Amino acid sequence: MSPLPLLLQAAHGVTPPSGSPAPEAAPGGPGDIIMHHVMDQPFLGLPSKHMVFFVLAALIVIVMARLAIRSYRGGRVPRGLGAAVEALVVFIRDEVAEKSIGHGDGRRFVSLLCSFFFFILVAALLGLMPFSATSTGNLAVTMGLATVSFLAQQWAGISKYGLVHHFANLVPPGLPVWLLPIMIPIEILSMFTKPFALMIRLFANMLAGHMVITTLLLLIPLLAQLHWVGGVLMSPVSIALGLFIMLLEVLVAFIQAYIFTLLTAIFIGMYAHPVH
Amino acid sequence: MDPKALAYFAAGIGAGLAIIGGAAGIGRLAASAMEGIARQPNAGGEIRGAMIVAAGLIEGVTFFALIIAAVLAFK
Repeated sequence: MSPLPLLLQAAHGVTPPSGSPAPEAAPGGPGDIIMHHVMDQPFLGLPSKHMVFFVLAALIVIVMARLAIRSYRGGRVPRGLGAAVEALVVFIRDEVAEKSIGHGDGRRFVSLLCSFFFFILVAALLGLMPFSATSTGNLAVTMGLATVSFLAQQWAGISKYGLVHHFANLVPPGLPVWLLPIMIPIEILSMFTKPFALMIRLFANMLAGHMVITTLLLLIPLLAQLHWVGGVLMSPVSIALGLFIMLLEVLVAFIQAYIFTLLTAIFIGMYAHPVH
Repeated sequence: MDPKALAYFAAGIGAGLAIIGGAAGIGRLAASAMEGIARQPNAGGEIRGAMIVAAGLIEGVTFFALIIAAVLAFK
């Protein structure tokens, strides 16, 4: 599933009306320069750019958390970064964890939910910097996040009820017996589709914005190929629309971090408080 | 017909249909949520939270379809 060849082809060669085959994408063209933002590629001698920015995002989150904790030292009221992080953490604790998981159980998962929130937020915002990449726009990264989410959901049920009772909880009691053969497969399936949906949602959202910006910018070389006036006229339009999508991406970064955290909390709550 | 052309064709139509479904779902959701907030402004916060969750779920299903369309297109 590589969008690169198609878009490169669009950037480099509109098939001429004479019917000759589209030329192969040449490296170093405008498409290549623009596509660096979407595709994974080697970076500074390392095999994967997404990996670099994955580690960078994790480091930023760790340093940010440490600095925020430091601002509490000596009983001071936190200012600046500490206050900003505190506002988000308190929001996640009170509005996400406690409301979705419950008062007693919510506390145990606050640290996990905060990690999800800040990592996804920082990774998405990092991806908006020039010459960077969104590590959560890689299916492998979101799959890792979703796996952690899946394990947390199962752990919430197993640690509270024990292994056997946890799986017995999947089916609500008092169900007619003839429904069991339908309900059990559905419940087991939904156990896996929940993290799968988390994985796809985050990946697609992170990729989609960058793809739209790329496509808008690729309109410039596309039109310039027909006539240079087309490229000149298209440039301000493309850049204005691209800027708009870029601003939208900032919003999307916050919303997706929130949705991933909230849905994880809700799924954990489902297993911690099954229907009974 | 060229199978590649058929795949592009299917991807385009599939993406369009998926967006129609997702847009209808989120549109209905937003309309109902706004109606609810207009009637009960006090419950605005809770309705908004529930709306975002439901919108996320609808969006997720739409993305499943879009990714299938993308796989068809970029094969």
